[in-house]
Amino acid sequence: MEGLLAYTVRRLLWAPVILFIVSFFAFSITRLGPVDTVDVLAGPRADEEAKERVRQELNLDKPIYQQYGIYMTNLIRHHDFGESQTIYRGTDVWDIIWPRILVSMQPGIVALVIAFSLGTAVGVFAALRQGTWMDPVAISSFLFFQSIPVLVSLPFLVLIFVVKLGWLPAIGWGGPEIDVGPQEVSLGIFSRHIILPALVLSLPGVAGVARLVRATTLAVLGEDYVRTARAKGLPELEVVGRHVLRNALLPLVTVIGLSLTTLLEGAFFVELILGIPGIGQLGFQAAQSRDYDVILALVLIVATAFIIANIITDVAYTFIDPRIRFGAQQGQ
Amino acid sequence: MNRAVLVILGIMAALVVAVGVLVIIVVSSGDDGETQSGSPNDNGGDSSRTQLRLRGPEPITLDPHIIQDASSALYVVEIFGGLLTLDTNLEIQPDLAVEIPTIENGGKVVNPDGTVTYTFTLREDALFHDRKPVLASTVKFSFERAADPNTRSLVAEFFLGDIIGVTEKLRGEATEVSGIRVVDDKTIEITIDRDLPSFLFKLTYPTAFVVDPSQVDSDDNWTRQPNGTGPYKLKNWRFGERIELEANARYHLGAPIIETVRYELLGSSITLYEAGELDVAGIALDDLERIQDPADPLNAEYRSGSRLSMDYLGFNTNTEPFDDPLVRRAFAMAIDKEQIARAVFQDAIPVANSIVMPGLAAYSEQVQAPLFDPEQARQLLADSSYGGPEGLPEITLAESGTGATAGAGTSAILEMWRQNLDVEVEIQQAESATFFQDVDQGRYQMFTLGWIMDYPDEEDILNIHFDSESPNNNTFYSNPEVDALLREALTEPDSARRIELYQQAEQLILDDVPWFPLFFDRFHALVKPYVNNYLIPPAIVPRLRFISFSSE
Repeated sequence: MEGLLAYTVRRLLWAPVILFIVSFFAFSITRLGPVDTVDVLAGPRADEEAKERVRQELNLDKPIYQQYGIYMTNLIRHHDFGESQTIYRGTDVWDIIWPRILVSMQPGIVALVIAFSLGTAVGVFAALRQGTWMDPVAISSFLFFQSIPVLVSLPFLVLIFVVKLGWLPAIGWGGPEIDVGPQEVSLGIFSRHIILPALVLSLPGVAGVARLVRATTLAVLGEDYVRTARAKGLPELEVVGRHVLRNALLPLVTVIGLSLTTLLEGAFFVELILGIPGIGQLGFQAAQSRDYDVILALVLIVATAFIIANIITDVAYTFIDPRIRFGAQQGQ
Repeated sequence: MNRAVLVILGIMAALVVAVGVLVIIVVSSGDDGETQSGSPNDNGGDSSRTQLRLRGPEPITLDPHIIQDASSALYVVEIFGGLLTLDTNLEIQPDLAVEIPTIENGGKVVNPDGTVTYTFTLREDALFHDRKPVLASTVKFSFERAADPNTRSLVAEFFLGDIIGVTEKLRGEATEVSGIRVVDDKTIEITIDRDLPSFLFKLTYPTAFVVDPSQVDSDDNWTRQPNGTGPYKLKNWRFGERIELEANARYHLGAPIIETVRYELLGSSITLYEAGELDVAGIALDDLERIQDPADPLNAEYRSGSRLSMDYLGFNTNTEPFDDPLVRRAFAMAIDKEQIARAVFQDAIPVANSIVMPGLAAYSEQVQAPLFDPEQARQLLADSSYGGPEGLPEITLAESGTGATAGAGTSAILEMWRQNLDVEVEIQQAESATFFQDVDQGRYQMFTLGWIMDYPDEEDILNIHFDSESPNNNTFYSNPEVDALLREALTEPDSARRIELYQQAEQLILDDVPWFPLFFDRFHALVKPYVNNYLIPPAIVPRLRFISFSSE
């Protein structure tokens, strides 16, 4: 297992390099746009002299690489993500982002749990009914949801459950509150507010999980030990539960990381349409208002999350399937 | 084979049934949904109501000295106060000061060198929310903080720059503002560089509000718990979610009636209102048609009020073809605003035929922009240096927006130019930040834009946009005669004469058509019947403390 450790370390060492590239690109793109933070703030009554002064103060008059250097130094040395300029002027970026992350995570986690549990159930069901009409119907009906973009399904669900039936709250976020330092955060996870976003984020993922589980379950069902278990006369439930599921589900670990992508993409639309105060909504607001430090912090945080998810996925692969090995030197 | 076909048919049938069921739910519940909405929660007419629920915009900050946007000002005027304030009729009233300084009461003195000194006496009962008294030194501190370069206010020069020494302080050349003098604990003198009738209006703007020195100096996050002098205090501001205000029971101008006011910062206001989650909701033009229908249950709860703001078409007088006044006039006279108001906006917004809006002293129906006359418009275009529609270069109208389609009003204007002038105009949209910058830099031939007044003085729209030297002259309009009239009016102490000068200048501007006024704005709202005294003033002024609930 020494090789695995070396592999993990190597991957981890690459992470800062990738982050550096991502951050530099994001930084340059924000700075090279036609309008800067001060222009957004300025408004018609602003005084030119004052605008110049504020630009200097924010270092916007310096060349990009210098601005980037200053930003990264503050970030690494002082763990300082900077200050919001246009959306919450003068507030620390981290104080703005941290509560938002906690909000965005809630629908994300619930959606992940739903997608994986429902997907597993459907997958196993389809595998056990292989060859009957129920197999394709089970899988295909969820393919239907996978094919509808969130942007289309969400307004439709809002129309049904909110406007027409009135079962769910119109928009917004609520639930019991916890204090997380800069401000309180609502645990929508314990309220009706969670239902729509979780549903909309999870449904498209079910088919993918179900198909994977179906394939692995079918493979396992053909194994000798399953035949042995059946031959022993174990009840079917126990065969599936103890022998099949355990071995069929391991590969699922590897998809969790990848699902993060879909969740984050969806979060942007979902939060905007449903008025959930998470990072998706913040990102949109920050981009429109050219709030540089907020945009950058979001990009960096999201990029870090992706990198970590990818590393975990890759390392998990090698754990689960010894045939996939870190590099060729280990090959026969 | 057979089996596979069956399976596929089965799936399709299942999907069709599923979609069908959903459609039936949507369609059939339609009627119930409409009539039910609003009613179940409405009859909670208990007399114990203590909270007013509104939908509000998210402020950028609650620091009065750096705000310059309407969203932040809405809250800041309730939480803070200054020497003077505006009432709901937009008249200047004393706030922390005992009275408005005038020549008659000795508060205003014109010095021999042309400067003017105002003396303000502070109210004995003027207190911060934490009951600290407001002293003359507090007021001086506040002005100097607003003018401090570290405060990074972009508007301090505009609102306070008339005070002697403010510009030097802003440039970092002085530590104090020399024009502000503390006479004693309750008396302060402010000297401005010339007699300027609009100066007292500027003192009602948040840049001139008073902050608590001990709080501002010691706490970096003070705007999350600001200690002001206004009728309400901030109870809670949850970013992106809501703001709660709490009554300041000791407010020196009269304590608010309603204990707490809660602003939702997210969600569609009409949806929340119909769900009984709001007591008042602002409504967009899109929903207006439905609400103006007398048969609609919401119709009885509809109110509207005029606002000191307007929409206009701006012509860049520096670029072809709008460098020729005849072309500008022709384009203006080809637009039938009455018809747009009727067909597109259901007469919900009044047509503007002048730049100065009703509610300002210089408003007059006699001062008019060119009226709709397609015949003459064609003639003017033929008489222009471009000789008619064939001689014109390509023309683009710019507007703010990110949608793929033009605004309904804009499309109607384009259609009228096509029909009445035989001119095809392209439309270009830019996202707002880029749009404003491009307008300022003269990158467009023409654009549609709005203007919201900061204070009800003609200076804030005429001098600021049409003086050839003003940095906000976004059409690059220059007429020496207009310049002379505007500058004379700016400092004219006699108000009748001042109005006359502004009207003369405005008529000249309207004849030259750098701006073509389109519509005056109105604020449209739904107000629940149990809410009393919900005033819709034409500008952002403190008004929450007057609102009350009736016990049904």
